[in-house]
Amino acid sequence: MSLQAIRDVRADCQTALAGQDSELAPLMGDTILVTGGTGFVGTWLAETLACLNDDFGFKLKVALLSRSVDRFKVVYPHLGNRPDFRLIRADVRNIYDLPSETNWLVHAASTPDSRFHSTNPVETMTVIADGTVAVIRGLDRCSNFKKFLQISSGLVNGAQPLNLERMPEVFAGSSAFGTVSSAYVEAKRFAETYCAAARSQQRLPIVTARPFAFIGPYQSLETPWAINNFIRDALLGNDIRVLGDGQTVRSYMYGSDMAVWLLKILTSGTPGASYNVGNPEGITLERVARLISERFIPNPGVRLHTSESNANQRSILVPDVTLAMKTLRVSITTPLEPAIDKTIRWNRACSGLPKTAE
Amino acid sequence: MRSILISDPSLRDGNHAVQHSLTVKQVAAYCDAVDAAGVPIVEVGHGNGIGASSLQLGESSATDGDLLKTAREHLPHSKLGVHMIPGFATIEKDLKPAIEAGVDVVRVAAHCTEADITERHIGYAREKGRTVYGVLMMSHMASKEMLAEEAQKMESYGAEGFIFMDSSGHYLPEDVTERVKTLRSALSVPVGFHAHNNLGMAIANSVAAADAGAEMLDGTARGFGAGAGNAQLEVLIAVLERLGYKTGIDLYKVLDAADLAEKELMKVVPTISSVSVVSGLSGVFSGFLKPVVRAAQQFKVDPRDIFFELGRRKIVAGQEDIIIEVASDLSKKLTGAR
Repeated sequence: MSLQAIRDVRADCQTALAGQDSELAPLMGDTILVTGGTGFVGTWLAETLACLNDDFGFKLKVALLSRSVDRFKVVYPHLGNRPDFRLIRADVRNIYDLPSETNWLVHAASTPDSRFHSTNPVETMTVIADGTVAVIRGLDRCSNFKKFLQISSGLVNGAQPLNLERMPEVFAGSSAFGTVSSAYVEAKRFAETYCAAARSQQRLPIVTARPFAFIGPYQSLETPWAINNFIRDALLGNDIRVLGDGQTVRSYMYGSDMAVWLLKILTSGTPGASYNVGNPEGITLERVARLISERFIPNPGVRLHTSESNANQRSILVPDVTLAMKTLRVSITTPLEPAIDKTIRWNRACSGLPKTAE
Repeated sequence: MRSILISDPSLRDGNHAVQHSLTVKQVAAYCDAVDAAGVPIVEVGHGNGIGASSLQLGESSATDGDLLKTAREHLPHSKLGVHMIPGFATIEKDLKPAIEAGVDVVRVAAHCTEADITERHIGYAREKGRTVYGVLMMSHMASKEMLAEEAQKMESYGAEGFIFMDSSGHYLPEDVTERVKTLRSALSVPVGFHAHNNLGMAIANSVAAADAGAEMLDGTARGFGAGAGNAQLEVLIAVLERLGYKTGIDLYKVLDAADLAEKELMKVVPTISSVSVVSGLSGVFSGFLKPVVRAAQQFKVDPRDIFFELGRRKIVAGQEDIIIEVASDLSKKLTGAR
């Protein structure tokens, strides 16, 4: 990762943290553990926590727990070799002893990659379900523990109706269950319910975040998500290919905003509450493709693959984030267009290097 | 009027029928004809796809590179497609050069329960900006639910469409209807169907697929393909036209292309031989027809017995060496019985 790319990400973190540092003060001097600490969410949290230490004097001790810490140290040495960071190599399902000094915990272990879900549905479920059980059990040793942030998914609410512009946390839509394709969502639902049970029975301070869709550095352009693939197509000089008629609606939040929102939920969220995390501004995939195309010279073509079945399969997934914005005073500091610019710039800077955190 | 995207694998599946002996001259002539007819996708290569030429599966007369280069030169309008089975074909050795040769459509195929093996190949072709379809072969060997789960894997890997193959010509129309319906409800990408004609149902099954919501169908000139052949392209176009489906293909010109194919490509026009019927009934890959007949002659056994034994053992494409083993075993039993 180039020095410029590191500086760019740091600048993004500073922008997202502006005006928020005082509200994150409860973290000062504490130890925070992040499971899934080398994934997209974990890496952005690491960048933001490093920024809090370097630029705001938080004196945090950070522990990143992951199965892939060796690779992380090699690919991102500016994070992996920090003296205030500790990397713990472990499978979250087999955790028995969390660092006893842990005060705050963000449980982000699981992959949102749908390729992995369909190929390895059992591991998908056990990492989420067994991992959540193991981490909560491991809290027994943490005598000065303050709060647990469960990273769930915006998909747990079920399918968003096409006529619902934004999906609030309380929405309960229908979704398939008992199938391979429901493995990820059902495991996330189990994890949320297990957390609710643990909060009630063991009086654990657990709060839940439901992430939607994101864009930014540390996200692999190989993952089969629309915006990633559009950027990859354009970077490779290919036409941008849109499955379907392009009228499916999504929204994308930049990584640095996501990290700050998660930390605000951790420090200020009400135990027992769930908060949507994402960009509330929906956009059609055709428009996303055209925004990306406009950023390249010559402009890559945008090819729509209209078919009857795809037209029937239009969908919308956009969060209502009123709860987070009003009660936690968070905002979008990097809207979609600059987020796309930053993502393209980062991927260009990291060309030839692994582009993804794992 | 609903559109059906037609893919023509005459120059790939048909290669099974001529022991993979299609030449660049034949490829050029047929490509000229179907390009003029407006066939949207023309698939070219060894019967088992690119990279499959081998002693075990049969050696091609012409290299993949020469076949694809020729086809590309003679398909100014139609898209050039390839079939590839991971294991026979590799990314570096086969897919990369094929894409460099100008292939537009990559159909990554696997046995109906093994979609997992296609992830990297689908991902690579997507990365290169090619249209990628996932294909599951011998689909009758999986339940419709299992087929849908495997298809979902391919969709998650990035496949932009999914095609299920009736590799042994085993289906009846209701089998196809229920599979298409299940797949359409499980997938968000278009569904396609590739028929074989062992039980004389290729056109009926293709129509059943279209009526159930399939948006892609395969057809070959005169049914030129493995075993009893495929859905006969020119008949399929005519029937779809009569049913009100739009294919964008010029009927007269595709009829001309079929006439040319019969004259220039085929030693014999595919027919439903007695052995093909047995292949369809036993659910054994149509492409086994010729090696089974050869093995039957060599070991002096009834080819129908070979087919039923292969079906009992659930043998799939790529296990051609088992044909000899089965024929030998049957021969020994016969000798022992005497």
